[in-house]
Amino acid sequence: MLTPAELVWLIAAVAKGDEAAFERLYAATRAKLFGVVLRILRRQDLAEEVIQEAYVKIWKSAGQFNPGLSSPITWMASIARNRAIDVVRRRGETSIEEEPSAMEVAADTPDPLARREMTEELKRLLECVGRLEPDRQKLVLLAYYNGWSREQLAAKFEAPVNTVKTWLRRSMMDVRECLGL
Amino acid sequence: MMAYSDDHIALAAEYALGTLDADERAQVETMMSVDKDFTAMVQAWEHRLGALNQMVGSVEPRPEVWEKIRTAVGHSEQQAPIVLPQPSLPPVVPAVEEWAAVAAAVDNSNVIRLSANVRRWRSIATATSAIAAVLVAMIGVGLFLPDLFPDSMRPRTRTQVVETKAPPASAPSAQYVAVLQKEGGAPAFILTVDGATKNFTVRKVEAPAEPGKSFELWLISDKLPQPRSLGVIGGSDFTARPILASYDVETVKAATYAVTVEQAGGSPDGNPHSAPVFTGKLIEAVPSSAPAR
Repeated sequence: MLTPAELVWLIAAVAKGDEAAFERLYAATRAKLFGVVLRILRRQDLAEEVIQEAYVKIWKSAGQFNPGLSSPITWMASIARNRAIDVVRRRGETSIEEEPSAMEVAADTPDPLARREMTEELKRLLECVGRLEPDRQKLVLLAYYNGWSREQLAAKFEAPVNTVKTWLRRSMMDVRECLGL
Repeated sequence: MMAYSDDHIALAAEYALGTLDADERAQVETMMSVDKDFTAMVQAWEHRLGALNQMVGSVEPRPEVWEKIRTAVGHSEQQAPIVLPQPSLPPVVPAVEEWAAVAAAVDNSNVIRLSANVRRWRSIATATSAIAAVLVAMIGVGLFLPDLFPDSMRPRTRTQVVETKAPPASAPSAQYVAVLQKEGGAPAFILTVDGATKNFTVRKVEAPAEPGKSFELWLISDKLPQPRSLGVIGGSDFTARPILASYDVETVKAATYAVTVEQAGGSPDGNPHSAPVFTGKLIEAVPSSAPAR
């Protein structure tokens, strides 16, 4: 992975229509973005479609990237992840039933990094998420990593959808307060 | 950054988390398209939560993926301007069926013989009201009001006795809002109508003008045999006019508002010459003296 500064520079070049820079940007970030969307979509073909659309959008909107507001990889991952979430929401909530094993496969959150490999931002966020009750921590992480809907989370936690809705909202407000947003 | 209600903050957070349903996501995207501060709030959440991606394992996509991206990018101009659709009919006679469909589609009592076309318009109306609801909540917190209602347009003092409970002198009269947009598209115009004076204001959000063409606003009502022109709009960011005063309140509230692309200066004969490009219906705005939600 290139450094954030190198990625910022590449995005600036892409904004000017530099195709070679775009190819380098793709090479440096494709595996991370594909990992993020594949985890949510859990289907190679859908993930490939989403990643294509995401990079086309990155190409078109590179000029709108603001390094003061976001890091390059987070900006790019958000574009890809938002697209993936849109796709699963529009496909409806049947994917879990279609794939009986998907629940178990997707049920765990990714392996924790060694603490020394984490950025300060991740440490800070995990500290705040870690202050939530254990079930809520899991709720938030499953929602983020797996792109699950409230309905899917309700099934997993055996709770009414409205309850899950309240939990999610309170959890996010607690995290917000902890982060000082 | 302006103060947002907890509902807005939670909406931004849950958008970034990914737990909103498809309609709510569309609402957030609409709000982002009209409100830079709200966009910044969503992006702040995306940035904070995005740190979690560090723990997601990398997976190499197949090489074909890059080939497709490169092809797609090669064919697409960077920062391509948004192109308005061509009017789908020759500029002779308005598409009566299509206009009728627009009116029928938004009339809930007339749902029996809906063609596919009408269902399309229905879905526009439904999506529009959902999005408008969000915008109304925003208006409730005073986001649009200062811009949309210059002093000259505030309701005038009435001399006649009003039977209903008189609002406090400082409270604005009921405001109605319609988001005019293409199906599934971002808002192009935001129409606001003052309930008391029936003055209306159109704010241009995102509607690139075609050279030699004008946008014209129309009122479509099942009480009227054909669309009525409300004049050319979009020449500047704001258009304000009192023309709705000649219609009764129920017609104004129940009508569908549509924008067509006409020749420069507007339709010469009072009839629309294209299919509606942007449409929307009014919904009642929350009075600004009440809580946002």
